[in-house]
Amino acid sequence: MIPDAEKLFSASTEWKSIRVNTLKIGRDELLERLSEKFEVREMPWYENGFFIKGDMTKSLEYYLGYYHVQEAGSMLPPLVMLPDKNDCIIDICAAPGSKTTQMAMMMENEGIIFANDVNSKRLRALAHNIQKCGVVNCIILNHDGRFLWKKGIKGDKILLDAPCTASGKIIKNKNMTWSYGRVIRMSKLQKRLIESASKCLIDGGTLVYSTCSLEPEENEEVIDYAIKNLNMEAEKIELVGIKTRRGIKRWGDKEYEGAEKAIRIWPQDNLTEGFFICKLRKY
Amino acid sequence: MQIKKILNEKEIRDIEKLIEKNYGCKINLGKYKVFKTGEEKIWIVEKGVDMELCKKLRCYAMGMYFGKLKRNNKIKLSMEGAMMIGKIAKKNVAVIDEGEGMKFIEGENVIASKLIGCEQNNFVIIKMNEDILGVGILRENFIENLVPKARRINF
Repeated sequence: MIPDAEKLFSASTEWKSIRVNTLKIGRDELLERLSEKFEVREMPWYENGFFIKGDMTKSLEYYLGYYHVQEAGSMLPPLVMLPDKNDCIIDICAAPGSKTTQMAMMMENEGIIFANDVNSKRLRALAHNIQKCGVVNCIILNHDGRFLWKKGIKGDKILLDAPCTASGKIIKNKNMTWSYGRVIRMSKLQKRLIESASKCLIDGGTLVYSTCSLEPEENEEVIDYAIKNLNMEAEKIELVGIKTRRGIKRWGDKEYEGAEKAIRIWPQDNLTEGFFICKLRKY
Repeated sequence: MQIKKILNEKEIRDIEKLIEKNYGCKINLGKYKVFKTGEEKIWIVEKGVDMELCKKLRCYAMGMYFGKLKRNNKIKLSMEGAMMIGKIAKKNVAVIDEGEGMKFIEGENVIASKLIGCEQNNFVIIKMNEDILGVGILRENFIENLVPKARRINF
Protein backbone atom coordinates (compact mmCIF):
# COMPACT_ATOMS: atom_id res chain seq x y z
CA MET A 1 0.00 0.00 0.00
CA ILE A 2 2.82 2.45 0.83
CA PRO A 3 4.52 3.95 -2.21
CA ASP A 4 8.30 4.39 -1.85
CA ALA A 5 8.19 2.75 1.58
CA GLU A 6 11.97 2.81 2.01
CA LYS A 7 11.93 6.61 1.62
CA LEU A 8 9.15 6.89 4.21
CA PHE A 9 11.23 5.39 6.98
CA SER A 10 14.28 7.48 6.19
CA ALA A 11 12.46 10.80 5.70
CA SER A 12 14.02 13.78 7.47
CA THR A 13 12.57 15.04 10.75
CA GLU A 14 15.16 17.79 11.29
CA TRP A 15 12.93 20.55 9.99
CA LYS A 16 9.93 21.63 12.03
CA SER A 17 7.12 23.73 10.69
CA ILE A 18 5.43 26.90 11.86
CA ARG A 19 2.62 29.10 10.61
CA VAL A 20 2.73 32.88 10.68
CA ASN A 21 -0.06 34.40 12.75
CA THR A 22 -1.05 37.23 10.45
CA LEU A 23 -3.53 38.46 13.05
CA LYS A 24 -0.47 39.77 14.91
CA ILE A 25 2.35 40.27 12.42
CA GLY A 26 2.98 40.48 8.69
CA ARG A 27 4.50 37.47 6.96
CA ASP A 28 7.56 39.26 5.57
CA GLU A 29 8.35 40.98 8.85
CA LEU A 30 8.30 37.66 10.70
CA LEU A 31 10.41 35.98 8.03
CA GLU A 32 13.02 38.71 8.40
CA ARG A 33 13.06 38.41 12.18
CA LEU A 34 13.26 34.62 12.19
CA SER A 35 15.95 34.51 9.53
CA GLU A 36 18.26 36.30 11.98
CA LYS A 37 17.81 33.51 14.55
CA PHE A 38 17.08 30.30 12.68
CA GLU A 39 17.66 28.52 9.43
CA VAL A 40 14.34 29.12 7.65
CA ARG A 41 12.83 27.64 4.49
CA GLU A 42 9.64 28.86 2.89
CA MET A 43 6.89 26.31 2.41
CA PRO A 44 6.26 25.85 -1.32
CA TRP A 45 2.52 25.28 -0.95
CA TYR A 46 1.61 27.89 1.65
CA GLU A 47 2.93 31.43 1.87
CA ASN A 48 2.35 31.61 5.63
CA GLY A 49 4.15 28.37 6.39
CA PHE A 50 7.88 28.02 7.13
CA PHE A 51 10.20 25.15 7.91
CA ILE A 52 12.67 25.92 10.68
CA LYS A 53 15.70 24.21 12.17
CA GLY A 54 16.12 24.79 15.89
CA ASP A 55 13.99 25.06 19.02
CA MET A 56 11.28 27.43 17.86
CA THR A 57 9.37 27.26 21.15
CA LYS A 58 12.06 29.41 22.75
CA SER A 59 11.95 32.70 20.95
CA LEU A 60 10.52 36.13 21.57
CA GLU A 61 8.29 35.76 18.51
CA TYR A 62 6.84 32.51 19.85
CA TYR A 63 6.15 34.14 23.21
CA LEU A 64 4.34 36.98 21.45
CA GLY A 65 2.14 34.60 19.44
CA TYR A 66 3.58 35.84 16.15
CA TYR A 67 3.68 32.24 14.95
CA HIS A 68 2.07 28.96 15.81
CA VAL A 69 3.95 25.68 15.81
CA GLN A 70 1.92 23.51 13.46
CA GLU A 71 2.70 20.39 11.51
CA ALA A 72 2.98 21.22 7.81
CA GLY A 73 0.38 18.64 6.75
CA SER A 74 -2.08 20.02 9.27
CA MET A 75 -2.07 23.38 7.43
CA LEU A 76 -3.65 21.75 4.39
CA PRO A 77 -7.28 21.08 5.43
CA PRO A 78 -8.01 24.83 5.93
CA LEU A 79 -6.36 25.51 2.55
CA VAL A 80 -8.71 22.98 0.99
CA MET A 81 -11.70 24.50 2.77
CA LEU A 82 -10.86 28.16 1.96
CA PRO A 83 -12.84 29.79 4.77
CA ASP A 84 -14.38 33.14 3.95
CA LYS A 85 -14.97 36.19 6.16
CA ASN A 86 -18.73 35.71 6.04
CA ASP A 87 -18.75 32.00 6.85
CA CYS A 88 -20.12 30.22 9.85
CA ILE A 89 -17.73 27.32 10.32
CA ILE A 90 -17.98 24.33 12.62
CA ASP A 91 -14.74 22.62 13.60
CA ILE A 92 -16.05 19.44 15.16
CA CYS A 93 -12.86 18.03 16.71
CA ALA A 94 -10.97 21.27 17.18
CA ALA A 95 -8.45 20.78 20.02
CA PRO A 96 -5.66 21.79 20.27
CA GLY A 97 -6.69 24.42 17.74
CA SER A 98 -3.98 24.67 15.07
CA LYS A 99 -6.46 24.49 12.22
CA THR A 100 -9.03 26.55 14.12
CA THR A 101 -6.63 29.44 14.59
CA GLN A 102 -5.47 29.11 10.98
CA MET A 103 -9.06 29.39 9.77
CA ALA A 104 -9.67 32.40 12.05
CA MET A 105 -6.61 34.01 10.54
CA MET A 106 -7.77 33.27 6.99
CA MET A 107 -11.14 34.84 7.91
CA GLU A 108 -9.31 37.90 9.29
CA ASN A 109 -11.08 37.41 12.62
CA GLU A 110 -14.51 37.86 11.05
CA GLY A 111 -17.39 35.42 10.58
CA ILE A 112 -17.87 32.75 13.22
CA ILE A 113 -16.14 29.52 14.11
CA PHE A 114 -17.71 27.03 16.47
CA ALA A 115 -14.67 25.16 17.76
CA ASN A 116 -15.90 22.00 19.42
CA ASP A 117 -14.16 19.19 21.25
CA VAL A 118 -15.47 16.38 23.40
CA ASN A 119 -12.35 16.16 25.53
CA SER A 120 -12.59 18.74 28.28
CA LYS A 121 -8.89 18.40 29.13
CA ARG A 122 -7.88 19.31 25.58
CA LEU A 123 -10.16 22.35 25.63
CA ARG A 124 -7.67 24.12 27.85
CA ALA A 125 -5.02 23.89 25.13
CA LEU A 126 -7.57 25.00 22.55
CA ALA A 127 -8.55 28.05 24.61
CA HIS A 128 -4.89 28.86 25.26
CA ASN A 129 -4.04 28.81 21.55
CA ILE A 130 -7.09 30.84 20.57
CA GLN A 131 -6.20 33.50 23.14
CA LYS A 132 -2.52 33.52 22.22
CA CYS A 133 -3.31 33.98 18.54
CA GLY A 134 -5.60 36.92 19.33
CA VAL A 135 -8.69 35.26 17.86
CA VAL A 136 -12.04 36.94 18.55
CA ASN A 137 -14.39 35.01 16.26
CA CYS A 138 -14.34 31.62 18.01
CA ILE A 139 -16.83 30.02 20.31
CA ILE A 140 -15.41 27.00 22.09
CA LEU A 141 -17.94 24.24 22.68
CA ASN A 142 -17.69 21.06 24.70
CA HIS A 143 -20.04 18.56 23.09
CA ASP A 144 -19.69 15.02 21.84
CA GLY A 145 -19.30 15.54 18.09
CA ARG A 146 -21.52 12.52 17.37
CA PHE A 147 -24.49 14.42 18.84
CA LEU A 148 -23.60 17.99 17.91
CA TRP A 149 -26.38 18.07 15.29
CA LYS A 150 -28.93 17.89 18.12
CA LYS A 151 -27.83 21.31 19.38
CA GLY A 152 -29.33 23.23 16.48
CA ILE A 153 -26.22 24.83 15.03
CA LYS A 154 -25.70 24.88 11.28
CA GLY A 155 -22.51 25.70 9.42
CA ASP A 156 -21.75 26.88 5.89
CA LYS A 157 -18.56 24.87 6.08
CA ILE A 158 -17.46 22.10 8.40
CA LEU A 159 -14.05 20.79 9.23
CA LEU A 160 -14.00 17.24 10.50
CA ASP A 161 -10.41 16.49 11.38
CA ALA A 162 -11.41 13.20 12.85
CA PRO A 163 -9.78 11.34 15.74
CA CYS A 164 -7.68 8.58 14.19
CA THR A 165 -4.94 6.05 14.79
CA ALA A 166 -2.44 8.70 13.66
CA SER A 167 -0.33 6.26 11.67
CA GLY A 168 0.73 9.14 9.42
CA LYS A 169 2.89 10.34 12.30
CA ILE A 170 5.14 7.32 11.88
CA ILE A 171 7.83 9.58 10.44
CA LYS A 172 8.19 11.25 13.84
CA ASN A 173 7.28 8.33 16.07
CA LYS A 174 8.75 5.17 14.63
CA ASN A 175 7.97 3.19 17.81
CA MET A 176 4.22 3.70 17.62
CA THR A 177 1.98 0.73 18.32
CA TRP A 178 -0.71 -0.32 15.87
CA SER A 179 -3.64 -2.72 15.99
CA TYR A 180 -6.23 -3.53 13.39
CA GLY A 181 -8.91 -3.61 16.09
CA ARG A 182 -8.20 0.05 16.84
CA VAL A 183 -8.42 0.93 13.16
CA ILE A 184 -11.88 -0.64 12.99
CA ARG A 185 -13.05 1.10 16.17
CA MET A 186 -11.84 4.43 14.80
CA SER A 187 -13.52 3.80 11.47
CA LYS A 188 -16.88 3.29 13.22
CA LEU A 189 -16.43 6.48 15.25
CA GLN A 190 -15.43 8.43 12.14
CA LYS A 191 -18.58 7.32 10.31
CA ARG A 192 -20.74 8.49 13.21
CA LEU A 193 -18.91 11.80 13.29
CA ILE A 194 -19.29 12.40 9.56
CA GLU A 195 -22.99 11.60 9.84
CA SER A 196 -23.37 14.20 12.58
CA ALA A 197 -21.28 16.66 10.56
CA SER A 198 -23.53 16.23 7.51
CA LYS A 199 -26.57 17.07 9.64
CA CYS A 200 -24.89 20.25 10.90
CA LEU A 201 -24.13 21.37 7.35
CA ILE A 202 -26.43 23.56 5.25
CA ASP A 203 -27.50 22.25 1.84
CA GLY A 204 -24.80 23.15 -0.64
CA GLY A 205 -22.28 23.51 2.17
CA THR A 206 -18.74 22.13 2.18
CA LEU A 207 -17.35 19.50 4.49
CA VAL A 208 -13.62 18.87 4.66
CA TYR A 209 -12.73 15.50 6.13
CA SER A 210 -9.18 14.81 7.19
CA THR A 211 -7.13 12.43 9.29
CA CYS A 212 -3.44 11.85 9.88
CA SER A 213 -3.88 8.11 9.32
CA LEU A 214 -2.83 6.04 6.37
CA GLU A 215 -5.43 3.26 6.68
CA PRO A 216 -8.16 3.15 3.99
CA GLU A 217 -10.69 2.06 6.64
CA GLU A 218 -10.28 5.45 8.32
CA ASN A 219 -10.24 7.43 5.11
CA GLU A 220 -11.63 6.28 1.78
CA GLU A 221 -14.11 3.96 3.52
CA VAL A 222 -15.54 6.88 5.54
CA ILE A 223 -15.87 8.98 2.37
CA ASP A 224 -17.54 6.07 0.59
CA TYR A 225 -20.01 5.83 3.51
CA ALA A 226 -20.79 9.57 3.29
CA ILE A 227 -21.34 9.49 -0.46
CA LYS A 228 -23.61 6.44 -0.31
CA ASN A 229 -25.63 7.44 2.76
CA LEU A 230 -25.47 11.17 3.48
CA ASN A 231 -26.27 13.08 0.27
CA MET A 232 -22.68 14.10 -0.22
CA GLU A 233 -20.50 14.24 -3.30
CA ALA A 234 -16.72 14.49 -3.47
CA GLU A 235 -15.12 17.54 -5.06
CA LYS A 236 -11.77 17.91 -6.70
CA ILE A 237 -9.02 19.41 -4.54
CA GLU A 238 -6.59 21.92 -6.02
CA LEU A 239 -3.35 22.46 -4.14
CA VAL A 240 -0.27 23.96 -5.69
CA GLY A 241 3.35 23.27 -4.77
CA ILE A 242 2.81 20.03 -2.88
CA LYS A 243 3.07 16.48 -4.09
CA THR A 244 -0.19 14.66 -3.49
CA ARG A 245 -1.40 11.22 -4.51
CA ARG A 246 -4.92 10.06 -5.18
CA GLY A 247 -6.99 8.17 -2.64
CA ILE A 248 -6.99 4.38 -2.74
CA LYS A 249 -9.77 3.15 -5.00
CA ARG A 250 -9.59 -0.56 -4.21
CA TRP A 251 -8.60 -2.17 -0.93
CA GLY A 252 -8.96 -5.92 -0.57
CA ASP A 253 -12.39 -6.79 -1.91
CA LYS A 254 -13.72 -3.26 -1.35
CA GLU A 255 -14.11 -0.49 -3.88
CA TYR A 256 -14.50 3.06 -2.65
CA GLU A 257 -16.52 5.85 -4.25
CA GLY A 258 -15.00 9.32 -4.21
CA ALA A 259 -11.46 8.06 -3.64
CA GLU A 260 -10.24 9.47 -6.95
CA LYS A 261 -11.04 13.00 -5.74
CA ALA A 262 -9.52 12.59 -2.28
CA ILE A 263 -5.82 13.24 -1.73
CA ARG A 264 -3.14 11.49 0.27
CA ILE A 265 -0.03 13.24 1.43
CA TRP A 266 2.79 10.84 2.13
CA PRO A 267 5.54 11.79 4.61
CA GLN A 268 8.36 10.95 2.20
CA ASP A 269 7.04 13.33 -0.46
CA ASN A 270 7.00 16.74 1.23
CA LEU A 271 8.58 16.79 4.72
CA THR A 272 5.14 16.47 6.33
CA GLU A 273 3.29 13.88 8.32
CA GLY A 274 0.98 11.60 6.38
CA PHE A 275 -2.44 13.09 5.75
CA PHE A 276 -5.68 12.21 4.04
CA ILE A 277 -8.06 14.97 2.90
CA CYS A 278 -11.35 14.90 1.07
CA LYS A 279 -13.68 17.76 0.21
CA LEU A 280 -17.38 16.94 0.12
CA ARG A 281 -20.42 18.95 -0.83
CA LYS A 282 -23.89 18.32 0.51
CA TYR A 283 -26.69 18.36 -2.05
CA MET B 1 -18.31 29.92 30.69
CA GLN B 2 -20.79 31.84 32.74
CA ILE B 3 -21.64 35.14 31.06
CA LYS B 4 -22.57 37.65 33.74
CA LYS B 5 -23.56 40.50 31.48
CA ILE B 6 -23.52 41.48 27.82
CA LEU B 7 -22.52 45.13 27.85
CA ASN B 8 -24.67 47.75 26.17
CA GLU B 9 -23.29 50.67 24.15
CA LYS B 10 -22.99 52.96 27.16
CA GLU B 11 -21.17 50.34 29.20
CA ILE B 12 -18.78 49.71 26.31
CA ARG B 13 -18.13 53.44 26.06
CA ASP B 14 -17.39 53.49 29.80
CA ILE B 15 -14.68 50.90 29.24
CA GLU B 16 -13.27 52.88 26.31
CA LYS B 17 -13.14 55.94 28.59
CA LEU B 18 -11.40 53.91 31.27
CA ILE B 19 -8.77 52.89 28.73
CA GLU B 20 -8.37 56.48 27.59
CA LYS B 21 -7.93 57.61 31.20
CA ASN B 22 -5.37 54.91 31.98
CA TYR B 23 -3.47 54.68 28.71
CA GLY B 24 -4.18 57.99 26.98
CA CYS B 25 -5.54 56.46 23.79
CA LYS B 26 -8.86 55.87 22.11
CA ILE B 27 -9.94 52.43 21.00
CA ASN B 28 -13.14 51.27 19.41
CA LEU B 29 -14.60 48.31 21.27
CA GLY B 30 -17.98 49.00 19.68
CA LYS B 31 -17.03 46.81 16.74
CA TYR B 32 -17.19 43.78 19.04
CA LYS B 33 -19.73 42.29 21.37
CA VAL B 34 -18.34 42.89 24.83
CA PHE B 35 -19.34 40.87 27.86
CA LYS B 36 -18.38 40.27 31.46
CA THR B 37 -17.78 37.01 33.27
CA GLY B 38 -17.01 36.46 36.97
CA GLU B 39 -14.45 38.65 38.77
CA GLU B 40 -15.22 41.53 36.38
CA LYS B 41 -13.38 39.90 33.49
CA ILE B 42 -14.02 41.56 30.13
CA TRP B 43 -14.18 39.55 26.92
CA ILE B 44 -14.62 40.62 23.31
CA VAL B 45 -16.15 38.54 20.55
CA GLU B 46 -17.05 39.07 16.90
CA LYS B 47 -20.20 41.16 16.61
CA GLY B 48 -22.14 38.62 14.53
CA VAL B 49 -22.19 36.02 17.32
CA ASP B 50 -25.69 35.01 18.39
CA MET B 51 -25.39 35.18 22.18
CA GLU B 52 -28.83 33.62 22.72
CA LEU B 53 -27.86 30.53 20.73
CA CYS B 54 -24.62 30.31 22.66
CA LYS B 55 -26.50 30.29 25.96
CA LYS B 56 -28.15 27.03 24.86
CA LEU B 57 -24.80 25.38 24.14
CA ARG B 58 -22.17 24.03 26.50
CA CYS B 59 -19.82 26.89 25.91
CA TYR B 60 -16.31 26.63 27.36
CA ALA B 61 -15.13 30.06 26.20
CA MET B 62 -16.05 32.73 23.71
CA GLY B 63 -13.88 35.28 21.95
CA MET B 64 -10.78 36.77 23.51
CA TYR B 65 -10.08 37.71 27.12
CA PHE B 66 -9.41 41.44 27.03
CA GLY B 67 -8.79 42.39 30.64
CA LYS B 68 -10.12 42.64 34.14
CA LEU B 69 -11.73 45.66 35.79
CA LYS B 70 -10.06 46.57 39.07
CA ARG B 71 -10.83 48.94 41.91
CA ASN B 72 -10.17 52.67 41.59
CA ASN B 73 -11.01 52.77 37.87
CA LYS B 74 -8.10 50.63 36.79
CA ILE B 75 -7.94 47.84 34.24
CA LYS B 76 -5.53 44.93 34.11
CA LEU B 77 -5.17 44.11 30.43
CA SER B 78 -4.53 40.60 29.15
CA MET B 79 -1.44 40.16 26.97
CA GLU B 80 -3.60 40.39 23.87
CA GLY B 81 -5.51 43.36 25.29
CA ALA B 82 -2.15 45.07 25.88
CA MET B 83 -1.11 44.28 22.31
CA MET B 84 -4.29 45.90 20.98
CA ILE B 85 -3.62 49.09 22.89
CA GLY B 86 0.13 49.14 23.38
CA LYS B 87 1.16 50.63 20.07
CA ILE B 88 -1.05 53.69 20.51
CA ALA B 89 -0.85 54.07 24.29
CA LYS B 90 0.56 57.38 25.51
CA LYS B 91 0.42 56.79 29.27
CA ASN B 92 1.40 54.04 31.67
CA VAL B 93 3.90 52.57 29.26
CA ALA B 94 7.20 51.20 30.57
CA VAL B 95 9.96 50.74 28.03
CA ILE B 96 12.52 48.05 28.79
CA ASP B 97 15.73 47.04 27.04
CA GLU B 98 16.36 43.62 25.49
CA GLY B 99 18.16 42.21 28.52
CA GLU B 100 15.26 43.08 30.80
CA GLY B 101 12.86 41.93 28.10
CA MET B 102 14.21 38.38 28.22
CA LYS B 103 13.91 38.42 32.01
CA PHE B 104 10.33 39.66 31.72
CA ILE B 105 9.40 36.78 29.41
CA GLU B 106 10.84 34.37 31.97
CA GLY B 107 8.53 35.81 34.61
CA GLU B 108 10.99 37.98 36.54
CA ASN B 109 10.45 41.50 37.82
CA VAL B 110 12.28 44.08 35.72
CA ILE B 111 13.59 47.64 35.68
CA ALA B 112 12.40 50.09 33.02
CA SER B 113 14.78 52.17 30.96
CA LYS B 114 12.06 54.75 30.33
CA LEU B 115 8.66 55.44 31.86
CA ILE B 116 6.00 57.21 29.80
CA GLY B 117 3.33 58.87 31.92
CA CYS B 118 3.43 56.09 34.50
CA GLU B 119 1.61 56.19 37.80
CA GLN B 120 3.00 54.42 40.81
CA ASN B 121 1.15 51.16 41.66
CA ASN B 122 -0.83 51.23 38.44
CA PHE B 123 -0.79 48.69 35.64
CA VAL B 124 1.72 49.51 32.94
CA ILE B 125 2.12 48.19 29.41
CA ILE B 126 5.59 46.75 28.83
CA LYS B 127 7.22 47.71 25.57
CA MET B 128 10.51 46.48 24.11
CA ASN B 129 11.49 48.05 20.79
CA GLU B 130 8.22 47.83 18.85
CA ASP B 131 6.92 44.74 20.63
CA ILE B 132 4.38 44.74 23.45
CA LEU B 133 5.42 42.10 25.95
CA GLY B 134 2.46 42.30 28.33
CA VAL B 135 1.65 44.17 31.51
CA GLY B 136 3.14 44.71 34.94
CA ILE B 137 2.61 46.90 37.98
CA LEU B 138 4.91 49.82 38.54
CA ARG B 139 6.35 49.58 42.07
CA GLU B 140 8.80 51.98 43.67
CA ASN B 141 12.00 50.56 42.18
CA PHE B 142 10.88 47.91 39.75
CA ILE B 143 8.04 46.54 37.63
CA GLU B 144 6.18 43.60 39.04
CA ASN B 145 5.79 40.87 36.44
CA LEU B 146 2.23 39.82 35.56
CA VAL B 147 2.95 37.40 32.71
CA PRO B 148 0.73 34.32 33.24
CA LYS B 149 2.76 31.20 34.07
CA ALA B 150 1.45 29.37 31.00
CA ARG B 151 2.86 32.09 28.74
CA ARG B 152 6.35 32.37 30.25
CA ILE B 153 9.37 30.95 28.48
CA ASN B 154 12.60 29.83 30.09
CA PHE B 155 15.47 30.48 27.75
